[in-house]
Amino acid sequence: MTPHKLSPVHARRVIEARLGREPQDMLEAAVALEAWAGMRALDALGTGRDLMRASRRERQPSIGKLPLPDAQEGLAVEAAAFVVVVISIACWAAPLATTLGAGVVEHGLILALPLTLALQWWLRSRYLGRPKGLAQLGRRPWMLLLGTIALVGIPSALMGLSGTVAGLLTVTWTGGTILIRRRWSLAYAAAVVLATTAMLAGLSALAVLAAIAVATALAVAVAVRSSVTLAGHPPGRMGRAVTAGIIGAGMGVVLVADRSVDWSVGAVPAIALIPSTVASFWGGYHLWQFQYVIPKALSGVAIFNANHRGLGWPPLRILLGAVGRLVLLTALLSAVLLLGASALGMATSGVSVLVGFGLVALATLLVSLLESVGRASWALLSVLCAIAGEAYVRMSDIDPFPGVGLIVGASLAVLVALPAAIGMMSRPARTLATALWIS
Amino acid sequence: MALASVERPAGRTAAAHPRRTAAVRPARPRILLTTEGTYPYAMGGVSSWCDLLVQNLTDFDWQILPIIAPHGRPPTYELPPHAREVGRIELWSEALPEGGWPRPAERKAGTEIPGVLVRNLIGWHGDNESVLNALIWCRRFPVGVRRIFRSRRGWASFLDGLQAVLAERVAEAGSPPEVDLVEAATLYQTLYWVARTAAAPTPPTDVLHVTAAGWAIIPALVHKALHGTPIVLTEHGVYVREAYLAAARSGASPGSRFFATRLARGLARSAYSYADVVSPVTDANAYWEEGLGIDPDKIHVLYNGLSQPPTPSPPPGTLTVVSVGRIDPLKDVHTMLRVAEETLRYVPNAQFLHYGPVTDGEEAYGSSCLTLHEQLGLGDRFRFMGRTSDPNGVVRDADVVLMTSISEGLPMSILEAMGQGRPVVSTGVGGVPDVVKGCGVVTRPGDAHGLAMAVTTLLRNPTLGWKLGQRGHGRLGRIFNESACVEGYRELLFSAATVAVETAAMPARMAA
Repeated sequence: MTPHKLSPVHARRVIEARLGREPQDMLEAAVALEAWAGMRALDALGTGRDLMRASRRERQPSIGKLPLPDAQEGLAVEAAAFVVVVISIACWAAPLATTLGAGVVEHGLILALPLTLALQWWLRSRYLGRPKGLAQLGRRPWMLLLGTIALVGIPSALMGLSGTVAGLLTVTWTGGTILIRRRWSLAYAAAVVLATTAMLAGLSALAVLAAIAVATALAVAVAVRSSVTLAGHPPGRMGRAVTAGIIGAGMGVVLVADRSVDWSVGAVPAIALIPSTVASFWGGYHLWQFQYVIPKALSGVAIFNANHRGLGWPPLRILLGAVGRLVLLTALLSAVLLLGASALGMATSGVSVLVGFGLVALATLLVSLLESVGRASWALLSVLCAIAGEAYVRMSDIDPFPGVGLIVGASLAVLVALPAAIGMMSRPARTLATALWIS
Repeated sequence: MALASVERPAGRTAAAHPRRTAAVRPARPRILLTTEGTYPYAMGGVSSWCDLLVQNLTDFDWQILPIIAPHGRPPTYELPPHAREVGRIELWSEALPEGGWPRPAERKAGTEIPGVLVRNLIGWHGDNESVLNALIWCRRFPVGVRRIFRSRRGWASFLDGLQAVLAERVAEAGSPPEVDLVEAATLYQTLYWVARTAAAPTPPTDVLHVTAAGWAIIPALVHKALHGTPIVLTEHGVYVREAYLAAARSGASPGSRFFATRLARGLARSAYSYADVVSPVTDANAYWEEGLGIDPDKIHVLYNGLSQPPTPSPPPGTLTVVSVGRIDPLKDVHTMLRVAEETLRYVPNAQFLHYGPVTDGEEAYGSSCLTLHEQLGLGDRFRFMGRTSDPNGVVRDADVVLMTSISEGLPMSILEAMGQGRPVVSTGVGGVPDVVKGCGVVTRPGDAHGLAMAVTTLLRNPTLGWKLGQRGHGRLGRIFNESACVEGYRELLFSAATVAVETAAMPARMAA
């Protein structure tokens, strides 16, 4: 092979044939000439420089590659399984209270709800919300085993029977989150329905609760072990996961701190959670599109338009759409619930409690949005405001209607979180660059 | 530029010359080896070379600082007792930096860092000193880096800088594309990781040995600026050239190509500017490096080498053509498949065996190779054999060794072929023509017909093949032998360490 020189015209043709376009700059021209025309480096660099000086190239428009949306297969099945689980678990309160006493169950639930939410948020941030997160969890069998033992053992030692109930409920619910992430929702729902049937059939409620907790823990062990791969993404940052856990615990405290909602009086309070829970499932699913809608809104937009007001509309529409879905579905399902209860002659917790739960769901939606983009301080502030508001209501003995604490606390959280969320969505370029893509 | 006020020991950037006589030598010099996506986590030519030095240069304490994407895999290479990993820079990970937080005045200067980096790394006429000052700031205030890149001011400074770069009108640089905000945000994220790489701590060391003029130079630049430690830069391929080739073949948007190549150019420019010695593995790289502006006095070519194998055995005569290399656009496997298709027309009993995995991130290219394999109807006559742990063994079983790369430094697979006395048919890229001189056939890159004719000739004329193979074996022993390579680096690194000791012994005022 003899290195050779090419005429400028020939050199340009070689480059354009190989690249399928004009060269970007003299270096690209030189690299193409060396790689595909066998020209020596110094000659190629000289020719590339001459070619570029002789050319008048127009600026080319460019559009960046957009991230692909995650596939959301089986969402309807998961949602249905989730509703079945919530309804079934709602039915546990009465048999448990009959067997163990209302006080024991109430204390157990007051501990179990915040603890479960804390663990769910922590798990999601560190493992479950990440690619191959289950595999990472599977590599820590001792953490899972000791965690399960501690979840039951420590509350039992500190609080007695109500602690045991709290621990078993927490293991069952938190384990359920892992099983749902593993796409074993139907199996989990079937197990919960079976346990509910056994309780309603008169078997010892505590024994059934222990059995379902053990079964869930074993299923989790199998689920995570079968997900283990040789390599994978590392788990999420511990500090961030702990913050997420604190936020989750805070939202749990908001749920249980209202004295006017008695969690041990049967299935009613838990069933009252269903409208807002299902609605937040739908709203959250819609809101999650923001991570694809933001880049899409910026695709093809020149950089000097980074602060253009119109850019914020698509992400804002997603936020408002999520809020709208949550509010509308909560209202609709609450109405159905009230009408159903009325038709069956059952007592309900009243409209105000349903409104309170709806506001808590809305606050959770916004807080989780802020946390997911790394604005944890705003999320924490919102939760703290909610707890402070509810504590104020509780200490002031303000009790005009049931659920007033929930309404005040959650409203404060929404008032703090909503402007921050709107601000983020209305400046998509900055949000994408500084929050979404720099975690 | 406000960052110019950053203090560092000026004048401690002693220019080492490899041939300089050592006056004072540390007993066991410490060598900080910075790697980028290679040693000790991935197989390949650069990793093999790193391992050769680390295993054989036992009179140094090796400190390995790999820059990798987080993958959770254990190291591929086991380090000997005199080598240890001194940290790991995981790009695009979630880990937070640890360290100092700037005072208000320093924070204000820091908010300009995204703008400084985009102007001077991406701009055609970037200022290396400004880049260095920005990177030093990142090292001094690691916690501040994330805060700044997540701030409104950081983003605004970046957009200002980017607009200035896109408004540049330099004839040889062509016209920058009209990038969109998605591409801008992607670049912003990349520059954040440049800053994070600079912020990573480096241990006390005597010599900084950098294995590529890209990301691997970043921690070394800062360390040298702060401590005056000399930098030895080894380039296997030419970083800029490979970045341009990868971008050209990627099918990415004009903006993505523009940013990828400009960033590579900006990093390489800084590397060439601050390296005390640049040691390419082949003369062909040296020509590029000179063309890209390195002072020729800094360049010291050190060929790769292999241990002299025993007298080779004749080729097996099974009409087997072997190629060893990753499945990667730079290896031009498409051309290899076309060579096979044409060769099989003349030598229907020939078989082609390709050893090597698909490069991480090039899975689409791997699929395209399989598609072309099917379209050409190669069937069992051309087989992808996957990774091999015995490259010498697979080459020994060949009658001809084929390489179709469009970019190479001094490829180990060719040296291995020569070591086993096998004739080489290759594209004449990088250092290949200098190596294969007289012991194989070299064609232009992408010349499937020329390559196929050469392979056919050698398969039909095994005597000629064996003669070329024997000449290659002799040439390997004379020029490209392992001990010469190792001794060359021993001398170079000792020389650099000596300069470091002399410089460190100077009173600060004299040094300045």
